[in-house]
Amino acid sequence: MFKDLDPILHSQLRLAVMSLLISVKEAEFVFLKEKTNSSAGNLSVQIQKLKDAGYVEVTKQFKDNYPQTMCRITQPGIKAFEVYVKNLQSYLTQTK
Amino acid sequence: MEQENKLSEKDSLNLITDMINKAKQSFHDSGVGPIMWGSVIMVCSLVTYARLAFSFKLPFDIWYLAFIAIIPQIIITIKEKKGKKARTYNDIALDYVWMTFGISIFLLIHTNSGIINGLEKGFGDYSSTSGFRFYDYSTSLFLIIYAFPTFITGGIMKCKPMLFGGIFCWTCSIITVYTPPLTDQLLMAASAFFAWLVPGIILNKQYRNLKRQPNV
Repeated sequence: MFKDLDPILHSQLRLAVMSLLISVKEAEFVFLKEKTNSSAGNLSVQIQKLKDAGYVEVTKQFKDNYPQTMCRITQPGIKAFEVYVKNLQSYLTQTK
Repeated sequence: MEQENKLSEKDSLNLITDMINKAKQSFHDSGVGPIMWGSVIMVCSLVTYARLAFSFKLPFDIWYLAFIAIIPQIIITIKEKKGKKARTYNDIALDYVWMTFGISIFLLIHTNSGIINGLEKGFGDYSSTSGFRFYDYSTSLFLIIYAFPTFITGGIMKCKPMLFGGIFCWTCSIITVYTPPLTDQLLMAASAFFAWLVPGIILNKQYRNLKRQPNV
């Protein structure tokens, strides 16, 4: 039996964001926007969904008088990402 | 990535790999710090060598240059940190490694000056009977400590020239035990050249190339 893939992660932009955040300790919103080639509006909607699921933590602060949004992956986020990758791998192995 | 396309399992794995690689490629040391320290230590060592070889005196200790270099280093660090849009675990590890190095160097200078002052006062029979000159060995100690952060940074950043530089420092530290202070200064200059200046130039070149690429 194939395990169901986490619907929160099984979305192109959300998965891209989680893959970027898993590689760093924290990242600015601008960094995520540049790397994913997404629009600010779409990205903030998807980050909000990840935040609601408890997978990312968002901090708003000021840097040189400009607002700065920092994102970081949470422990449940790391766990969910690991399970997602494991399920993907087992799916791909079984369908070979 | 505007459209939420239907993702196949293979697409998902490809996307994860692609993003992790993108994140990895985003971080590159500018090499400015290693270039500056490599140059400063090399100049200080060569001037000390010339001073000893040609018996001339300077109105100040050339090694004060190394203390002054801390100011631009702080400015460089703050500027680089401000420019970074993401912070990696490697950044944090390297910050601690170089902080440890800085503190260790200060403590070594402090200990060395304590020992040298003690020997100059002639306490104990150790210095007077054996003709022991601690200064002859202090370069070895500095080179051991120089190698530490260089080797670790080389390993973490997968920078072979820095790994080689670390090994070079350790090798020189062994040699300096058997060589006179004059030669020690040349080996110190060579260590600064291979451990910091050369890797710094290579890192800076890679950094500039990376900056030219779009979306990096």
